[in-house]
Amino acid sequence: MPSDQAPPRTAITASNVTRQYVGGTFTAVDNISLELRENEIVCFIGPSGCGKTTMLRMIAGLEYPSMGDLTIFDKPITGPGPDRGMIFQAYTSFPWLTARKNIEYGMKIMGLSREERSRRSDEFLRLVHLDGFGDSYPASLSGGMKQRVAIARTLAQNPGVLLMDEPFGALDAQVRWEMQEMMIEIIERENTTVVTVTHDIQEAIYLSDRIIFFTRSPGRIKADIPVSFKEGRRIPRKEEMLALPGYVDLERQLFAMMREEIQQK
Amino acid sequence: MIRLRRRQGEDVNQVARRSVSLFELRTVLSGRTTLILGLAGATGFFIIWELGHYITPEESQRFLPAPQEVLGALITLIVEKDYIADILKSCFRIFASFFAACLIAVPLGIAMGCFMRLRALLNPTISAFRYLPAASFIPLLLVWFGPTDTQKLALLVLGVIFFLVALILDNTKSVQPELIEAALTMGAGRRQVVTEVVVPAVAPAVVDSMRNMIAVGWTYLVIAEIVAASDGIGAVMMRAGRFLKVDIIMAGILTIGFLGVATDLLFRLAARYAFPWNRERGD
Repeated sequence: MPSDQAPPRTAITASNVTRQYVGGTFTAVDNISLELRENEIVCFIGPSGCGKTTMLRMIAGLEYPSMGDLTIFDKPITGPGPDRGMIFQAYTSFPWLTARKNIEYGMKIMGLSREERSRRSDEFLRLVHLDGFGDSYPASLSGGMKQRVAIARTLAQNPGVLLMDEPFGALDAQVRWEMQEMMIEIIERENTTVVTVTHDIQEAIYLSDRIIFFTRSPGRIKADIPVSFKEGRRIPRKEEMLALPGYVDLERQLFAMMREEIQQK
Repeated sequence: MIRLRRRQGEDVNQVARRSVSLFELRTVLSGRTTLILGLAGATGFFIIWELGHYITPEESQRFLPAPQEVLGALITLIVEKDYIADILKSCFRIFASFFAACLIAVPLGIAMGCFMRLRALLNPTISAFRYLPAASFIPLLLVWFGPTDTQKLALLVLGVIFFLVALILDNTKSVQPELIEAALTMGAGRRQVVTEVVVPAVAPAVVDSMRNMIAVGWTYLVIAEIVAASDGIGAVMMRAGRFLKVDIIMAGILTIGFLGVATDLLFRLAARYAFPWNRERGD
């Protein structure tokens, strides 16, 4: 979101980040440099195996670059931490805890008091439209609801940056767009910086202010595309976005790029 | 194939589709059907046994006594020979040895599932021990401990502990890695990940493994009580064998079978009670 006064701070930087596997024979991420601004929603998109997830996991601190540096708000990233919340494609709500205890878990790690945890878990249950399900175990919740528990748990820690790895990939189409609209509502309210990995082009356009397109392996940045037709707005309803002039052109452009990447072997 | 009656509002084709076959693939059964089929299987076993007894020539019948004779021997044992004390002794040996084995195997298996270096260090050796039959340790244990209870407990521990470690290691390895990573990204430390994520995540599978391994423990009981034992179900059976008292041997076998099934049930109930959140899993 363009800010009114001071220029937005830099949230995350990557300088010449390379990630190699198996003794240097396979390069997943090749010399990527980028800068993500505070309150920006960025999507990493690209064909399967393009290193976008590896890049996200390095930002999360779950993997380490073979070369290069990563920072978050000017501090070097040396491992995972609650300043970077992560949502996974697989359901990660803990099955042995109720929805509410799940949401409180992250806050407990941060050392928040019992009253504070209870107050905030109420708030975040409401935020992800799960009021009334606080005492349910994940086994009795649908896939979309499980994912919302995980999202609430992460956001309740108030992370500076929210990282999402194909967060809605396991959900069916209808639930997916409901979740996308809910995310827009939440991100707008919480003012979070977001990095999402997806291979769903429409999802990328709907969620992002900026799309970073990765080439097929080795992963490099093919294009850094501002989603300018939305004019910096976060649109609550998907069909409103689809009706905007400029949407189709961007979608067509991204499809063409995707085909280019898939076809060259 | 059993034909079913037509239910209200059902046409003939639907009834045909409902007709029951023993070999229907992976169908869902009600608790009642499961119970009835289970009882039918057990009854069938006793009928075949009974028939076996009657087709045996008269002079050999004492080597295959009828079920009711075995039951009679069982009652005589209990009333006249203080069999309950032997049963309790055997139960004590099973539960004490299994508890000791779990005390070591559960933490060790979970730790090996969490820490790759520990796994690399211990797994080859522990795996090798799995291939040694526990009975082959009897002479060694007799030399070390003499014909004592300790010797029997040690044998029972050796019989299950290596398998138990291997099973729990496997259980721990199959904890969804994203659960661990999610905890790490929330800022959980290593100790918290193990105690607050891995342990609760693996607990139901561990109880399952324990349930399966205590069954193996029961199978070792007779081996443990055959050698240098004066009490316990196995010792009673061994003594009866010397006098060709087949009815008593069979009563012993029945006792162990019954106790085994009871133990299994106990573990299932405990798991259902301890993990109410785990109701997606079958059985």
